[in-house]
Amino acid sequence: MRSKFQLNNVLLLVIVAALAIFPFISDSRTWTILLTQIFIFSILAMSYDILLGYTGIVSFGHAMFFGMGAYTTAILLHQFEATLSMFFLSIIIGMIIAAVISFLVGLLTLRLKSHFFAMLTLAVSGLFLVLAEKWRTLTHGNDGFTFRAPEFFKDRMMFYLLVLICLVLVYFFLRRFVESPLGRVLIAVRENEQRTKSLGYQTLYYKVIASVIAGIVASLAGSLYAVSLRFVNTSVLTMDITLDALLMTIIGGVGTLIGPIIGAGVIELAQHYLSGLAKEYPIFERWIIFFGIIYILAVIFFPRGIVGTIQYAFWKRKNKAIKGPIRPSRRKVVAK
Amino acid sequence: MELLINLFINGLATGMLIFLLAAGLTLIFGLMDVLNFAHGGLFAWGAFSGVWFYGLTSSFTIAIIGAILTGILLGFITEKLIITPVYGNHVQQILITLGFMIVLSEMLKVVFGPNQIAAKTPPLLAGSWEIGDVIIIKYRLFIIVVGFLVFGVFQFILKRTKVGLIVRAGVMNKEMVQALGINIKRVFLYVFMAGAALAALSGVLMAPYSGVIYAEMGMEFAILAFIVVVIGGMGSFPGSLLAAILVGLAGSFMAYYVPALSLAVNMMLMAIVLIFRPQGLFTAKG
Repeated sequence: MRSKFQLNNVLLLVIVAALAIFPFISDSRTWTILLTQIFIFSILAMSYDILLGYTGIVSFGHAMFFGMGAYTTAILLHQFEATLSMFFLSIIIGMIIAAVISFLVGLLTLRLKSHFFAMLTLAVSGLFLVLAEKWRTLTHGNDGFTFRAPEFFKDRMMFYLLVLICLVLVYFFLRRFVESPLGRVLIAVRENEQRTKSLGYQTLYYKVIASVIAGIVASLAGSLYAVSLRFVNTSVLTMDITLDALLMTIIGGVGTLIGPIIGAGVIELAQHYLSGLAKEYPIFERWIIFFGIIYILAVIFFPRGIVGTIQYAFWKRKNKAIKGPIRPSRRKVVAK
Repeated sequence: MELLINLFINGLATGMLIFLLAAGLTLIFGLMDVLNFAHGGLFAWGAFSGVWFYGLTSSFTIAIIGAILTGILLGFITEKLIITPVYGNHVQQILITLGFMIVLSEMLKVVFGPNQIAAKTPPLLAGSWEIGDVIIIKYRLFIIVVGFLVFGVFQFILKRTKVGLIVRAGVMNKEMVQALGINIKRVFLYVFMAGAALAALSGVLMAPYSGVIYAEMGMEFAILAFIVVVIGGMGSFPGSLLAAILVGLAGSFMAYYVPALSLAVNMMLMAIVLIFRPQGLFTAKG
């Protein structure tokens, strides 16, 4: 087990190295931009998985934190000089705002059962969307505004590398987080909250921590996203962003950190090609329907996702317990 | 005084529309323990099909009946395809009904086109009465009457008929009802169809009220309905009525006196209720 674990790390290093070299070999602008987009959404999807996959809470308000990061960065770079230090400062400010809001919202709503919590996050994020639309002096409403990115990012490659570094750092940070005793408690909460409570854990406290961590990471993804477009409008706060994160997590595999990354890759590539197809075949103009249908089918028939299914196959072959995605509904299979 | 009456009527009418939407939601949740995130989609389908029927026949009665039938049909499909596989698993229910919501609202755009559609008020209900300085818009009064009527009918069915007895017993103890030889699955199906019909009815009534209908309206109003259900207490029919009226009135008065806060007023109401009574106003069991 130990040696396999290290093998995984080596494999990861090779992939990261290959991705880092990629823009130096290929000068395809489309691919650089597409990969940057995939990395950004991987960060978002991983943060969502901390909630859905590791703690077992469904939040429909995740776009709210993504949007906070995006707006903080956009507004600061727009109002002040667009320097690199301002960019990093804006990321940190965005994270602090996201942490405070996620703490307050979490404290208020996480006491509730899954149903209520999902509804309330939806309502709260709806409120933020309306706020952004009405506060026109700051956000320019639905039209949004463009802003200058730091000079340093004139070269798309630098930004690509920065995002890749962020992705790797976030991955290792979150892996450390879920493998810590605290992360193990979160998994216990997912598996059986009542029992975890009986063991003396203040589950609310752990759930709030999970939601704050997820909020902070989502805000980072938002900041990067805003800079990648050099434009921001209220679409960063809409349900679509949350749905994308949700879909990536489910397709990739809930309860794994690699899963959301792979899911982000699959979804972004599919979106890219489907919207390309829409230019030729009008039927693909409503490609979101296909996503909706795939999503429904995935929830029913493919609940482990890509990575989860592979891990489960490994587990079945070795017939011993693995760390990994154990969906709440099927946990009996793995509970032995 | 006249102003207060006007604001009151406006708030009550909005509240009644939200009640019709929330009633279906709370009915489904109360019996089946399913939170239907696709409820807003059924609402929007009610609005679009109602307007379509109205354009076709120019009879508002037929429009309402058509919308309700659409709701019943969609409710049947939803329960059979989407809800049945995920009974008893909350997380999956949330995920799958939300996915279906996307499909429903995108299908709207496929069938009726992506643009906003104008909805006309039927001539019989257009216009208003003026009593002194009080202006009573006929359509709003009509909505209030329909809202109370629906509340009365459902309350009668739930409390006074055998069907209602079965449903209420099902809420208490599904297994026992099943053991008594009643097919609880079929009861679930009928309840879901009734809830969907209420959503569609709310949609078709909303159309002339707001003047235009668009595919995104489902989610917008679903959020309001969620707020109402949380305030009133999940699964409580009278709770939903009271909370909907409260939300409607608060919105109407705030929009006049403190416009800046009008958008946040629902959230504030909900936050206050949640802090003091997390289970909602009307739920006895915590």
